[in-house]
Amino acid sequence: MFNAKQEIKDTRIHLCLDCGKCTVVCPVARYNPEFNPRLIVQRNIEQKNRNFQDEAIWSCLNCYMCLERCNYRVEFPEFIRILRTEALSKGTQIQCTHGGSLQALMHLMAGENLRQERLCWLPPGIKLSEQYDAVFFIGCAPYFDIMFGDLEVNTLEGVKGAMRLLNRAQIPFNLLVNERCCGRDLLLQGDKEGFMALAQANMDEFNRLGVKKIITACPECYYSLKVDYPKMLGSTVAEVVYWTEVIAPLLGSGKLYLGRLKEKAIYHDPCTLGRGLRIFDSPRQILCAVDGLELVEMEQSREKALCCGASSWVYCGAANRQIQDERLAQAEATGAGVLVTSCPKCQIHLKCAQRNRNGKMPKIDIQDLAGLAARSLETRR
Amino acid sequence: MSRTVADIVVFTCNWDGLSCIEAAAQSRLNYPPSVKVVRVSCLSRVHSGLILKAFELGAGGVMLLGCESDSCYYEKEDRFNVKEYEKTRGVLGLLGLGTDRLRLARLPRGDGDSFVKQVTNFIAEMEQADNRIEMRNV
Repeated sequence: MFNAKQEIKDTRIHLCLDCGKCTVVCPVARYNPEFNPRLIVQRNIEQKNRNFQDEAIWSCLNCYMCLERCNYRVEFPEFIRILRTEALSKGTQIQCTHGGSLQALMHLMAGENLRQERLCWLPPGIKLSEQYDAVFFIGCAPYFDIMFGDLEVNTLEGVKGAMRLLNRAQIPFNLLVNERCCGRDLLLQGDKEGFMALAQANMDEFNRLGVKKIITACPECYYSLKVDYPKMLGSTVAEVVYWTEVIAPLLGSGKLYLGRLKEKAIYHDPCTLGRGLRIFDSPRQILCAVDGLELVEMEQSREKALCCGASSWVYCGAANRQIQDERLAQAEATGAGVLVTSCPKCQIHLKCAQRNRNGKMPKIDIQDLAGLAARSLETRR
Repeated sequence: MSRTVADIVVFTCNWDGLSCIEAAAQSRLNYPPSVKVVRVSCLSRVHSGLILKAFELGAGGVMLLGCESDSCYYEKEDRFNVKEYEKTRGVLGLLGLGTDRLRLARLPRGDGDSFVKQVTNFIAEMEQADNRIEMRNV
């Protein structure tokens, strides 16, 4: 069982001054007055006062906006995660989005005798190394493309693109045939048991194959493997890097060149990658390296970037829609033709929002960073 | 989570689908007792979340039993359930469980014989698939 008391202490929640800055910057609080981070802390800081029927704890987006603004860096998202874990252990039911299909999928992926056939989409041109020293962690993109096919998401394009770029840069990597979901969404929604099963299965696979370096395609996998796995499993994982951090330095030093694309683009910072892991520059460097591409910034970008409006496949309501609508409005206000993001989930959420904006036609194309960068390579042989 | 072929979940619509199961019972036709029937108003109610949940709980196969395409009581077309069916089959394929573990059957009203035939065939096929997996694992 988990030691909630120690975990809560580690979030520094007792340093909370009640100043309310978190609530001022919180995107959910702006649209949903019921959700007030400051009051949630006040209500739940003492264990005896906790009410596990409190629906507010499921609305947090884990966007780290509060953490960014907090003078004492009180880890409010982590506090929410602990409350959710406690609520689940007391039998509270969560409102899963998409009919709970993603939760079921993650639990199925934790199965012991699982032998996935998840690489059927792999294009023939991708060169894989023989060894497993360096591994490219694909994430759940193959599943997303099937599950969200009706939204016309193309998250695999990003994965294929990142692999093409790595191939072009002559960085060797291999793929795991039976890679499982990193489990971050289960952890965030409080299902620690489910997360541990997935994390352990992935860890066993890394250890069995002697993986020394993992390059990740999805920001959530990156956070999970880099931060959550060592913390939760208590053992060190191989070196974990995000693909932009590998490619961007090569572009800067002239060892790799991208091609030409005439686009006006904006970059949407995924919360986990930006505020969570402070990767703001390398994705922008990649975009700037595309010849002919004009990069403009949205009203809220980098540390202040607005979240895509939904997280961990729980609780998607009116407030979430309004956040997404605001983000799309910010994007459209720049006059750019393409919104580029490097997170498959941001792509899914924003495309879903675009589709459901009361009949308004989508004005901006949403694309994956790696997919776009790799597409530019085609103009350069 | 142990997966046994015997556990087959049948999501059936309240109309022609259920009438087949009732007809089978009235004509005293036998089919394995491990077939679990879940009644829903219309097959369009069954989305990928429910189907995957059945597999998560250990079902060996899931059958969607509904009215024939043109005789649905609610809709003129079956676009929704076909879409969910295709989507879930894709996911099952990636998971390595096999796309055949999900079956869509559309039967005319009161056709108990066909229902029993389809469900027993389905179980036999699942058993064969499991044997193949065991062989592969040895």
